[in-house]
Amino acid sequence: MFLISMIIWATALLGAVMTVWALTWAIKRGEFRNLRQGAASIFDAGEPIGRQTDFFPTSGKGVRP
Amino acid sequence: MNRTFLVILGAFLTIAFSLSGLVLIPNWQFQEHKPVVNPRDGSQYPAPYYGLALQGRDVYVDQGCAYCHTQQVRPKGYGGDIRRNWGNRRTVARDYMYEYPILLGTMRTGPDLANIGARQPARDWHYLHLYNPQITSAGSVMPRYQYLFRTVKAGELVPAGAIPLPAAFQAEGTHIVPTARGEQLVEYLRAQNRTFPLPEAKQ
Amino acid sequence: MSNVPEGPAESRLEQVSRILIDDSSRVPVLIWFTSSVIWLLLGSLAAMISSIKLHHPDFLGGIEWLTFGRIRPVHLDIVFFGWSSMAAVGALLWLQARLCHVRLPWPLLLSGLAMVWNVGVVVGSVAVLAGHGSSIEYLEFPAYCAPFFAVPALGVLAANVKMYLGKNSQHTYVSQWYLLAATVWLPILYVTAMLCTYFGLVQGVSQAITNWWFGHNALGLWVTPIAVATAYYLIPKVTGRPVHSYHLSLLGFWSLAIFYNWAGTHHLTGGPLPAWTITVGVVGSMMMFIPVITVAINHHMTMRGVFHMLKTSPTLRFTVFGSFMYTVASFQGSLEALRSHQEITHFTQYTIGHAHLGLYGFFSMIMFGAMYYIFPRITNNEWSSARLIKVHFWGSSIGVLAYGIGLCWAGWWQGLMMNDPSIPFLQTVEYVKPYLILRSVSGAGMTIAHIAFAISVWRILSRHHFVMSGPTLFTTERPAWREFVNEQNKREEMAQ
Repeated sequence: MFLISMIIWATALLGAVMTVWALTWAIKRGEFRNLRQGAASIFDAGEPIGRQTDFFPTSGKGVRP
Repeated sequence: MNRTFLVILGAFLTIAFSLSGLVLIPNWQFQEHKPVVNPRDGSQYPAPYYGLALQGRDVYVDQGCAYCHTQQVRPKGYGGDIRRNWGNRRTVARDYMYEYPILLGTMRTGPDLANIGARQPARDWHYLHLYNPQITSAGSVMPRYQYLFRTVKAGELVPAGAIPLPAAFQAEGTHIVPTARGEQLVEYLRAQNRTFPLPEAKQ
Repeated sequence: MSNVPEGPAESRLEQVSRILIDDSSRVPVLIWFTSSVIWLLLGSLAAMISSIKLHHPDFLGGIEWLTFGRIRPVHLDIVFFGWSSMAAVGALLWLQARLCHVRLPWPLLLSGLAMVWNVGVVVGSVAVLAGHGSSIEYLEFPAYCAPFFAVPALGVLAANVKMYLGKNSQHTYVSQWYLLAATVWLPILYVTAMLCTYFGLVQGVSQAITNWWFGHNALGLWVTPIAVATAYYLIPKVTGRPVHSYHLSLLGFWSLAIFYNWAGTHHLTGGPLPAWTITVGVVGSMMMFIPVITVAINHHMTMRGVFHMLKTSPTLRFTVFGSFMYTVASFQGSLEALRSHQEITHFTQYTIGHAHLGLYGFFSMIMFGAMYYIFPRITNNEWSSARLIKVHFWGSSIGVLAYGIGLCWAGWWQGLMMNDPSIPFLQTVEYVKPYLILRSVSGAGMTIAHIAFAISVWRILSRHHFVMSGPTLFTTERPAWREFVNEQNKREEMAQ
């Protein structure tokens, strides 16, 4: 029982250390830089910021090509 | 190398970590479980199912009984399980060491069945209940399992194994006999008995 | 080329490439989506049968194939594997291609994998109806069905990684993390759970833990991230407003990844498990407040000031409803994990109510929103009727709210009654019955909504009502662009 609980705690500790390590590593590599541009990256000139891109369909027939 | 690696590695680590923590370590911990020997008759508890009860487990699984019935008794003071007389103690991991598949269940549309064999030892009660739940439990929403029975036209003679239907539920001149699957299911239910005292289940 | 709108060359290229990318995903995404809509209808049918049986047990009684213990798992599996997963894959492929600025790779392979997946759902459902189910929730399909899901899941993962590695976009958008991680998680989860369950790798109660490790994570690490990713894209995209805080969204992603997969054992509270496994599940569930709150803040702040758009955009309506339900269902779920709460609600209809608020109110609604956005863009057609969309929205949203609130209320009292041994058990059954009827009624509302949706989908696919320049497609004057794209394609072909 003692051995088991030691293993559980050791794994938990290892997990925590690895998480912290991964986070530091990611920050050092600049993973969290340029975040604002990231948020804007889904817009382009055709569908710029500030333009709604979805509406209910209106009635009225379109043109068959 | 770019962020792909970070995300994939992170995703993999998180899941592998919880798998080992939640599944593998407990599984390893449970492997030290051994059955207890009953000093009175030398039998062991828990014991694997055998014979009709073993076949009955397949019927229990295939009919999906587990979607409305649990097989677990919660500890004293946690819920009303013991006070409802669903068991004389909580169930513990060792109770289930031979269960494959394990059928703990998550829903109590009907009552718990962990000790139904101890609560209702009579075969006939189970047959009546499965044939038409309204006979034993009026108002129940359990379906009738009439396909686990067959109808025998026997006139005056009562065929062997006919279930003692109350007159109101019996058609004139017919008798109802359980099929092999019906018998198996009932033996499985009667084998549900987790009352044997285990040292780790004090409550 | 005269009818191509004017604009700087760069922006013109961006728009053309977006259309080309949407086009490249057309066949596979349509197959995944259309299949999912068919499964949605079949799943609703199975749901209605099970629901009616629960208050009228003699309904279709005597037919062994349709007994409650078989049709109920079939409902769950069709809805999970057929509807949710297939819709999720469709949304994932389309979204990842768009966000990576690459054409969808291997369209034929991905279409074929959809058919393999469909075969898996058919075979599995028939097997469960025939009595070959395993009674292990979410894993009822027999072991021989596993390759039908494992292989496509790996294929989708490969396509996803390929797109991500070859991406032409400079930035990583937050959705991409969720999408990539979800495709890593699904095959690991599914294959591991199937191996543990069907090949005896774990014994005794560990089987139950594996069951809920899978059952809970399949929702939290497969369909949830895809819906969150979709909402993270669609809400800003439709409103034209960038996500409120990008930092928060990253925090949300990693906290989900770290904490969610520990939460599954709360399904076994009070069960025959070592106490610490349950404690871990409770702690994991509590930590889920972090990712949920970050998503809630982000989506709400993005929507602030533009809530009026809900009136005019079907996509936004469904997506914002779903996103709101994510917060509600997750808060409820975290509280539900507490031992004192579980003492009452475990084993009752409360859990069923909660599950539907999550998988339907949150996930399915976001998928509906995604489909309203994606179908026109890959079929180059307009939705035929605003009325059908409104029937769908109101049927679904009122239906799921009535369902969730009704069953949670009923389950709470059912649990209290069950814990009081002076009340006969059958009285708890009697108490719940009216709410079970309410469940059938609200289920019927949702089913009507699904039929309206299926009609819309049928019309847009069959070009029953063909409009190429409708409001959904308005921004880039698509017909003109399409000609330009077609010419580009021809030129490319000639050059080859």
